[in-house]
Amino acid sequence: MKRSRLFGALAVVLILTLALAGCGNTGTTPNTGDTAKKPDFKVALVTDVGGLNDHSFNYLANKGLEKAKADLGVQTAVVESKQMTDYESNLTKFAQEKYNLVIAVGFLMHDAVAKVAKQFPDTKFMIIDSEIKDQPNVSSALFNTEQCGYLVGVMAGAMETSTGIPNMLGKNTVGVVGGMAIPPVNDYIAGFIQGAKSVDSNINIIVKYTGKFDDPAGGKTTALTMIGQGADIVFHVAGGTGNGVIDAAKEKKVYAIGVDADQNYLAPDNVITSALKGVDTATYSIIKATKDNQFKSGDVFFNLANDGVGFAKPIKAVPDPVVAKVNEAAKKIKDGSIKVSNEMPAGYGK
Amino acid sequence: MFWHILAQPELWAATLAMATPLALPALGGTFSERSGVVNIAMEGIMLIGAFFGVYAACLTHSAWLGMLGGIIMGAVMSLIFAWVTVSIGADQVVVGMGVNIFAAGLTTFLLNMIFGYGGTPTSTPHLPNIHIPGLSQVPFIGPVLGQQNVVVYIMLLAVIASHYFLFHTNLGLRLRAVGENPQAADTAGINVWNMRYLGVIIGGMLSSLGGVYLSLGLLNSFEPNMSSGRGYIALAAMIFGKWTPFGSLGAALLFGFSTALSMYLQGTGNISTNIIQMLPYALTILALVGLVGRSTEPAADGIPYEPNK
Repeated sequence: MKRSRLFGALAVVLILTLALAGCGNTGTTPNTGDTAKKPDFKVALVTDVGGLNDHSFNYLANKGLEKAKADLGVQTAVVESKQMTDYESNLTKFAQEKYNLVIAVGFLMHDAVAKVAKQFPDTKFMIIDSEIKDQPNVSSALFNTEQCGYLVGVMAGAMETSTGIPNMLGKNTVGVVGGMAIPPVNDYIAGFIQGAKSVDSNINIIVKYTGKFDDPAGGKTTALTMIGQGADIVFHVAGGTGNGVIDAAKEKKVYAIGVDADQNYLAPDNVITSALKGVDTATYSIIKATKDNQFKSGDVFFNLANDGVGFAKPIKAVPDPVVAKVNEAAKKIKDGSIKVSNEMPAGYGK
Repeated sequence: MFWHILAQPELWAATLAMATPLALPALGGTFSERSGVVNIAMEGIMLIGAFFGVYAACLTHSAWLGMLGGIIMGAVMSLIFAWVTVSIGADQVVVGMGVNIFAAGLTTFLLNMIFGYGGTPTSTPHLPNIHIPGLSQVPFIGPVLGQQNVVVYIMLLAVIASHYFLFHTNLGLRLRAVGENPQAADTAGINVWNMRYLGVIIGGMLSSLGGVYLSLGLLNSFEPNMSSGRGYIALAAMIFGKWTPFGSLGAALLFGFSTALSMYLQGTGNISTNIIQMLPYALTILALVGLVGRSTEPAADGIPYEPNK
């Protein structure tokens, strides 16, 4: 008994020592109650259950908040929701503390925002990726991600029809790994398919869903099966699962396309570009507008025309004519001569 | 169409790759339960192994030391689990669930504290894939067996070694004895608590190796909650495998196969993705409701041993 107690204590000490030693670069940490220059304007960010390390919209929203803090001198607070039932209480807490703007990240928070916004008409709310109508104090940031999906689709399609690119398998096949078949994922994929088919209607596009956003091991195995079937460019719309997809491309020395943020850092030679969703710029611009008394309720669309979505700078392996083709498509989307639908083309995403 | 899929070596390679993170914790659970301690903490121990594996690998710049670090922390976590359940005699299922929740929270917290929100460094080394000379050239077998991650081979060896240990050594017999009838084993001079500590800790080391495989074998990064429920499927594999190493491996291969098959079937034909994705889980339930007949747990499984009772 005595000895086992000693072991127990030893184990706890070991865990704590390990926890205190640092390793790698420490990223940004959330800030609460900073005594900045203008403490009169307070902004709070409530994440959904994905948390700040989702490599995706929660992470980007926090980035936009950090920028607003640095550039505009606003006072900021961040809280990560541990479960769905926390949304309402987290939002209410900041509204009660008289925050000027409360930002809710993700379409999962729709109901909570709609309810809390009614109770606190003097507080401004912003929700990302969901639409709340007819509520004068709520602004909904919506992204036309089918447009950036289309552009990386054009890039993938044009890569397949080009010759002389190293490491291509020459089977005119690309793969898409989705997290779940839900609108925020399928918008991207619908655009991607239309874009790739606009270059060559015979291109073979394999679309698979892993059913999870937190399973990189499953993502990698799925991507490996696609590469085994001849896919040499894999596009992922799968959050944390997608890290495995990029890792598969890296291991098999083929190409990957990242999503939401520029994910080239995950595999610099393999991630040719990323479909960007400017959650950070959207967050920043709405904070700025609210601070300047230009808060607009209702839908605020972020698309190619206002740089709300886009694609990351392609790596050198992408030939210039391919990039030119993508830029041309971007121009045509902006001037309206190409319309991208967010409906899945027939035969996909069933 | 279907047969065509079965003939693809990549399907079987994916089966093996997806079976490994199930077989290791299932094997771990077998050790623990054979000694009489119900262990549902595999999910949590896997997460501990996965996180500390990456952490140690990034501190030491060696994937092998990372693996060692992950296994050691898995053993430490199991030691705490064993202390609470064996020495103190707390309810094993409740403590196991506690370990799972604690591990999920601890690893996410440490990930944010140590590495920040950008995730673990991309320069983290990972465990090598083994190319067995000769075997890699053999058609079909080559792509399936010839180029798997090193942990896959360790898993296969561990299954054989565990079978030998449990059923062909004195120590293995003693371990099983305290799981069947601890009073009798105690009378025969076996230290019941020591045996149970041994079972739980070996089990924890195997489970954490399963986590290390996810984070350092398949990948070189840690994501919150990346075990993604595999510890629970491993629990089913262990029961399905009737608390034996080869049974656990067989069950894990079956679940691995259904996972791989669901990956392959998607996008072919007109079957809904949602139905295909149910396959591994539906199979788990079918297996557990007794598709292969009765499986009997060790007689003293789950009952804390108190010598004077």
